[in-house]
Amino acid sequence: MSEEKKLTIVVTEDTFDKAMMSMFMATTAAGMGVGVHVYFSFFGLNLLRKGFQPELPEKYKPMTGHFMEKMKGMGINSMDDMMATATELGVKFYACSTSMGMMDVAVDDLVDGVTVLGAAGFIDVAIDSDAQLFIG
Amino acid sequence: MADENIDCRGMMCPMPIVQLTKAMKRMESGQVLEMMADDPGAKEDVPAWSHRTGNELFETKEEGDLIYFYIKKK
Repeated sequence: MSEEKKLTIVVTEDTFDKAMMSMFMATTAAGMGVGVHVYFSFFGLNLLRKGFQPELPEKYKPMTGHFMEKMKGMGINSMDDMMATATELGVKFYACSTSMGMMDVAVDDLVDGVTVLGAAGFIDVAIDSDAQLFIG
Repeated sequence: MADENIDCRGMMCPMPIVQLTKAMKRMESGQVLEMMADDPGAKEDVPAWSHRTGNELFETKEEGDLIYFYIKKK
């Protein structure tokens, strides 16, 4: 507990469940004094796009509004709000540069405060972390 | 007895911990927070948070579904 623990999270999908799960883990860990680093790759990159609203996958898609309503009743607002809370608590966001190229996403399309890097850059961050979560 | 109170009734994970973290940031060392919650997960989550952050959870009271946590900021 004397030295800061570190958690890295990799997110490769953009659906509502995975998006929210990543932010639940990130905000909670940051609140517990853990340094949190979240890398968004492949479709996960969409979550860093300004104004992107994630939806549930496939057959669950029509339930997205219902889920959001239920969550609002539990004090959980939108993905935007969760990401803002995460940032406020010191969570760091990273965008995969290759995914940006594949999906034609420019730096200006991303929310503020995101670091763009490749695999080596993120491995450097991740390699000495105490725990890793893969959400995809 | 508490210097600050937070009411997390109706909130589910992770919001009670987020609110707890924000309250702690506003408080001074040695001050006491009273936290009210009814998320059943909070019973395990608040002690885990306390263990990890070093802020002392010195009392827990349950009244039906409602749990009161008393935490002293380190």
